[in-house]
Formats: sequence, structure tokens, C-alpha cells
Amino acid sequence: MSDLDRQIEQLKRCEPLKESEVKTLCLKAMEILVEESNVQRVDAPVTICGDIHGQFYDMKELFRVGGDCPQTNYLFLGDFVDRGFYSVETFLLLLALKVRYPDRITLIRGNHESRQITQVYGFYDECLRKYGSVNVWRYCTDIFDYLSLSALIDNRIFSVHGGLSPSITSIDQIRTIDRKQEVPHDGAMCDLLWSDPEDIEGWNLSPRGAGFLFGGNVVTTFNHANKIELICRAHQLVMEGYKWMFNNQVVTVWSAPNYCYRCGNVAAILELDEHLNKKFTVFEAAPQDARGAPSKKPAPDYFL
Amino acid sequence: MASPTTTRPPPPAPRFSSSPDAAAQTEDEAPSLSSPKTRESSPACFDFQDDESRQKIALKAAGAQLIHGPCDDAQGPRLHGLLVKGWRIQSNKHFILTMDERERWEKMLGTTHLPEMLFGNNFLELAHLATGIKIKFNALEALHDWKQENLPPVEVSAAAKWRFCSKPSQQVILDYDYTFTTPYSGSETIETEEELSSHGRSFMTTDHATSSPIQWVDCDDKIDLVALRAKDPILFYDEVVLYEDELADNGVSLLSVKVRVMPSCWFLLLRFWLRVDGVLMRLRDTRMHCSFQNDSNKAPVVIRERCHKEDTFSALALNGFPVDSSLYFDSAVASDRLTVRKQHCEKLTLKETNPKRVS
Repeated sequence: MSDLDRQIEQLKRCEPLKESEVKTLCLKAMEILVEESNVQRVDAPVTICGDIHGQFYDMKELFRVGGDCPQTNYLFLGDFVDRGFYSVETFLLLLALKVRYPDRITLIRGNHESRQITQVYGFYDECLRKYGSVNVWRYCTDIFDYLSLSALIDNRIFSVHGGLSPSITSIDQIRTIDRKQEVPHDGAMCDLLWSDPEDIEGWNLSPRGAGFLFGGNVVTTFNHANKIELICRAHQLVMEGYKWMFNNQVVTVWSAPNYCYRCGNVAAILELDEHLNKKFTVFEAAPQDARGAPSKKPAPDYFL
Repeated sequence: MASPTTTRPPPPAPRFSSSPDAAAQTEDEAPSLSSPKTRESSPACFDFQDDESRQKIALKAAGAQLIHGPCDDAQGPRLHGLLVKGWRIQSNKHFILTMDERERWEKMLGTTHLPEMLFGNNFLELAHLATGIKIKFNALEALHDWKQENLPPVEVSAAAKWRFCSKPSQQVILDYDYTFTTPYSGSETIETEEELSSHGRSFMTTDHATSSPIQWVDCDDKIDLVALRAKDPILFYDEVVLYEDELADNGVSLLSVKVRVMPSCWFLLLRFWLRVDGVLMRLRDTRMHCSFQNDSNKAPVVIRERCHKEDTFSALALNGFPVDSSLYFDSAVASDRLTVRKQHCEKLTLKETNPKRVS
């Protein structure tokens, strides 16, 4: 058994790798990812997955219902880390699978694959806690810069973490972005990872003052101009696991069941066969006894 | 950057388990978004046997009785509570609303935007059986008040740059308060014995805006926080989230209510907590306290203290506090550092004209 296969087995048991192993794995991953396009070409059949957010045992459930890699081809739409307990193991397992089966699994970048966001929402702290230093966080966030920004399946289905950008009218424009950097605060690269569809006409600025919202007519124009039938994205929690919008021109896929371990939502993956027929498989959180985390009673506290 | 872990408080010491069932396991394995580590690092094994028997003794000594709901399973929703000194105190915890339920709420509230995680079936209720006074906390009424207050939106930190480069055609049209800041501080009704004994929910039918026989009258009394520091046994404890939103990864907005019942009193804290990363933090706290009386038929004395705190991150910096958003993972950290903007105390009072409904 090769080192890599052994590491995959170890990670499947939710045991993190040694720091030196992470460094080597990241270097190998970088060699593969640097060759990928900003619009990575993906062939059907493929199974599309949305946000995971460090919910390792629920991702194992995903592989149980969707099939193991490489028997099933996978496209993950980003947000592997933050919020959940096991961002380290989750991301490293996906990365190890990428290095082992580069043509069978595609990982694209979500807005959480960023230095700034991971310092606030958990991944940074988790690395520090599990390794006693931030080196692993550094190796991983350096890899984030190399992740592709989108995928195009059989030239018919465009996949991205967030959504469209007002500065992008053709998919070819995405190819010209210099992606090897921290996610910027504005511009096309930022929009692809952050924007949301909304029931409006055209483009709106979010009430937060940053971030775009795009309406159904924007999608119709984009899909027509680029000869695609569907935009598949993630980024927003959906109680039912997936949600169609704008007459089936956009679909949101969410793959973190019982999000943050208490929302009670189901998760979904979108399975595309070789003819691009679509099948959603909905799944629930891993049962309590399959989880590594100890179960505890709530501790009443003397709050004031 | 400084290690965020060094500033975090140790996990709370395990006390009594509030209920002998296993219902809380998933909750506990899943700590609040704002403090994932506090719980995860708690010791895995407590002496439950001992805690449970101690709690049984304390319950018996107080003449209290636990209530278990019909769907008390380990993974799913849960209703539970306590009967003590003429009060029935109960909480319900469920999952977030489905898409269909959200659409219904959007129509009811006249909005197209609701918090991402809306625990619409969650509630906390405290009913005084002899007088019919019922104090309750739920998301629907809180969002009703959010809609009424309708604060202007807070701009996130990236907004200044965006304002500079966005075109007129890309202006904000949906200018609702996406932070879901609410002035809600619970609602009160008087209900008959039949209404009190039914478990049916009737949210909004007794809107607190309509003329209620209950009034909160300004008072000089304060909640005795010193007495509340005493480590009396906790007969019942719960924390119920009403809604929560991640502000699209720009911070946190969280409305939740905690309650603890001791042999001599109950105490609760309803807290709205907002952190817009790098921009501002806001707390709106409602505390209520009620000391049990010897005669549980007498009208209860309930004191309510409301406190608003708020500061921008730049103001915190001027006050010498760190401004790293990750340090404010928990509202408790912010609470010690934010400036009080508004504070007052009131006492629950029954209007003279209203006849008491003594059972």
C-alpha cells in the first residue's frame, strides 16, 4: 500500500495526518491544481456536492449514499471548511482523493476557502488546536489559492460556488482571471464565490452594501449567451437539500445535513448520468453512534 | 495574530442534568455557532448517576415535578419543562422551518426575507397557574417587532469600497434590516385555565400590541444579581434559539433565551446578539426574575430589566479593546466590553379592572 493510500485510509477514520505529511500532500496537490483551468472541464457522469463545512461524518454519509471515489466521479462546489468540528480531516481527505484520483474528483473554491474567513469561522482555530501551530492552516490556505473557480460539465452545466458576476457575460472571461490569490473583496472572482440569486430583475447590491444579487433575467441571458442549460451552485442553506429557481435555470445544492448539528435540514447531492439526466439524492446526518464526538448532556450554567 | 484560544473561557462546570432523558445529546454535540470549542472541549464523562440522584432530591425538596413532552426522542424535537411553586415552565425545541412554512411566515409577516435559520416552532413559556399570567418567547412575535422597528441596514466592512465602484444600476433596492435586530422582550397574556391546560399554540392571536391586562410599570427595584450568583441547585435549565443568521458570512445575528429554575426563583435572559464583522456589535438583553412566594395563588412579583449595548469596532479600538472579530465568538465576551445605551427596570402589574382567574 502506498503512503497516499495509507493516508486516505487514515483520514477516512477521521484521524488527521502529521504536519509533515500535510506539507507533502499539499505540495503534490499544488502541482495538480496549478494545471487546472479557472473553468475546469468535467465530463458526465458526475455527482455534484454543495457545502460540507467540516461535518466529516456527514460527508462519509454522503460517500455512502453517493458511492466511493473513484467508482463515482465527484464535483465539490467549495466550502469544505469552517463551522463544523472536522474541517482539517474533511479538507485533507478531499485533497488526498484529488491527488490520488485527479480525474475522478474536482474541487472548486468556496468563499470559506480564504485566509480571512477561516480566521473568523473556525478552521484557523481548529488547526491551531489540533497541531499546536498554524503551519497546517498556512499549507491549506496556500492550496486554496490554487483551487479552480468553476466547472463546466459537458459544456452544458456551469457550476460555481456562489453565482454570477455583472462583470462576466461570457464563460471565457472567467478563464482570464488570475485566481492564484486570496479571495478579493470585490471584482469578478469575489462575485463568483459570493453572489446569490434573488427574485428581482437584473442586478442589485445586497442590503449589506457589498455582494451582488442576480435575478432570473440575468440568468436567462447568461445561459443563452453561453449555450448552457443550467447553473448549479451552493452557498445557501436549503432545508430540503436542493432548490430550483427561475424555471429550472438555477439550482442550489446543499450537502451539510443538520447544519451546525442542530438545524435539522436534510442534504442533497445531484447525480448526473452520462446523458446529463438529473437525480437528486437526499440524505440525513450520520447517526449518533457513527460519530466520533462524545455525546454529552447539556451543562446548565449559572448565567446572569 | 494573537491566539484566540487564550481569551476564551473554560467550559462550564457540569451540574445537574436538567432531564434524565437523552434528548439533548444532539444539541450538545452541536454547540452554538458562536462557541464551537467551549463544549467540544468539555470532559466526555460526567457522573450522571450522581447528578441525577442529586437532582431528584432537589426536585423533591422543592416540591417540583418534571414535564416530558410526547416526542421525547434522542435525535428529534423535544418539549420539556417543570411544575414548581404554582408555575408551569416549559420549552420546546424543534428544527428550522421548511421552505413551505417559511413561505407561510413571509405572508404572515409581510416580508420576503427571514433569518436563514428560523426555529419557528421553538418557544419558552412560563405560566402562573393561579392568575393565568403567561410569559412567552417565540420567533414569530420577535420578527413581527423586527418588522415594526425597521432599522436602516448596517453596511458591512467591504461596503465603502463597493459604494465607490458600483454603478447606479446596481444600487440597493432591498433595503430591509438584514440584521434582524428586534426590540422584542417577550410577550404576556392572561389565559384561562382551559387555555393554559391546552398545549395548542395560538401565536399572534393574543398580540401584545392589543390591550393586555398586564402592564410593565417602571420601578426602582433591580434584579438581585448577587443572590443569583449563589450556586443553588438548578431544577430546570434550557437554552432555546429562536432565530439565527450568518449575515452571509459577515458575522452573526442570534436571538435566544436561556432559563434556569432554582428552588427559590426562576431567572431568564432573552438576548439578541449581533456582530457585523469589523463594523459593529449590538446586544439587546431582557432579564426576568421571579422569587417564589409561600402562597402560590398570590399574583407573582416579576421584575424585568432591559439593557441595550452597542459599539462600533472603531469605538472598541478607541477604548483599548482588540477588534479581531474572531475574539468576539461569544456574546458574553462582547457583553463585558460594550457601552450601555439604554437600561431600565419594570415590574409586572395586573390592571385593576381585570378580574383574576383563580382556579
